[in-house]
Amino acid sequence: MTFREINSKMVEATVAPGQRLFSQRGAMLAYKGDVSFTPNVQGGQGGLMSMIGRRVAGEATPLMTVEGSGTVFFGHGGHHVHVITLAGDTLYVEADRLLAFEGTLRQGTMFMGSQGGVMGMVRGQVTGQGLFTTTLQGQGSVAVMAHGGVFEIPVTPQRPVHVDPQAYVAHHGDVRNKLSTALGWRDMVGRGSGEAFQLELSGNGTVYVQASEEKL
Amino acid sequence: MSTYASPGAGPAVHDPMTLPADDNVNKYTFCVELKGGQWFLQKGKMIAYYGTIEFNGIGHGRLDRLVRTSFHSPLHASDWVVAGGSGKMLLADRAFDVNSYDLDDGNLTIRAGNLLAFQPSLALKQSIVPGFLTLIGTGKFVAASNGPVVFMEPPIRVDPQALVGWADCPSPCHHYDHGYMTGVLGGLRAMTGLGGVSGEEHQFEFVGAGTVLLQSTETLMAEGATGVVPPEPGVPGGGGTGPGGHGPQSSGTPRLPGQLGDLQRRFGL
Repeated sequence: MTFREINSKMVEATVAPGQRLFSQRGAMLAYKGDVSFTPNVQGGQGGLMSMIGRRVAGEATPLMTVEGSGTVFFGHGGHHVHVITLAGDTLYVEADRLLAFEGTLRQGTMFMGSQGGVMGMVRGQVTGQGLFTTTLQGQGSVAVMAHGGVFEIPVTPQRPVHVDPQAYVAHHGDVRNKLSTALGWRDMVGRGSGEAFQLELSGNGTVYVQASEEKL
Repeated sequence: MSTYASPGAGPAVHDPMTLPADDNVNKYTFCVELKGGQWFLQKGKMIAYYGTIEFNGIGHGRLDRLVRTSFHSPLHASDWVVAGGSGKMLLADRAFDVNSYDLDDGNLTIRAGNLLAFQPSLALKQSIVPGFLTLIGTGKFVAASNGPVVFMEPPIRVDPQALVGWADCPSPCHHYDHGYMTGVLGGLRAMTGLGGVSGEEHQFEFVGAGTVLLQSTETLMAEGATGVVPPEPGVPGGGGTGPGGHGPQSSGTPRLPGQLGDLQRRFGL
């Protein structure tokens, strides 16, 4: 495993020659050995088209490439860090939550509308994710940031999980998400419970939830 | 809605007996036990105390001896007080992580804003590196950090904002990474500004034997303006670098006749 959690807010990553890491710009805290940090014009992997795609989608976070041999320590903004290991499946995560990820992972951008049509777009707006989200696919690990600690909730076909859109961090696996609304007349007169929108995740996989309703 | 992590378990209630002596109450609070002794602490970091404790600003006549032996930073004097008496005193700083450190005939340099309190058996001196304070001797001190502190062995390069302090390291120096500005792409980047910088072109480098203290985030604790080094030639950060490093240095404001000058700041006037 490339990433090792040192404490709740800091991860250690080992870089070896021929092995690249991508990380958010300015998230390096310290390093040992011979490591170079190159700003990434394209904001990630893929060719020019995926760069344009990311720009259009507003998923272009400033990234840098980390290469060389040594140990790098990452942390950012006092946010909690959680390491997720992927074994061939796809992680759906917001681009600005990415602290660092291995170069072996394939980065892509997904249109929220492609999962659930119009309702998916509405959901993207409500959750503050926008209409697009970033996907990471392949073998490797990702360090994800969250406000407050992160916990995983397994999603099974029998037990769908409801998550507050603001507390949602990421999910992976074969999970369908839809926005469930519990709007009633009380919300119309401003006496709602404040929990009118929920993200309902069903299928087979894991959802990561942060212990706070504050967005990054 | 329950506010507690584990159901049924309320917050721990402390009284003078159960409060720890010279130890952390939780991650964010440190308890100092005073038994007729004295502690130096930064102004405004005491949140509560039991017993009879007196807080005196540095410059108070009776503390002259103490200040002479263990407080060698007149420029920070207005930011520090001496707590004396007997009882238990709680220290905290804006919900930042607080930790205590023991020095055994050692030295440790720490960012001025991070230091909360120290025992008078330690001597506080201003570091040559601007904005840092050095503690020398044997004793305990309390420091805050944004996120838990991690100890690292040199050689290591550290983000300037993540650095909390260092112990025994002889060589804190700057390291610039010019690699990103070379080559065709680098030149293009430098000329056009396109692509930007990685934000990691500048680090602090430590080599040699020692320990480097790092906080878990590169967000600095917001700190108030503390002491400024005197504007003398050869003093880093002093601002005064005349041609050749000589000549009279002008400080920011001209001194008016009848003013006490630096003594004012020394006594926190």
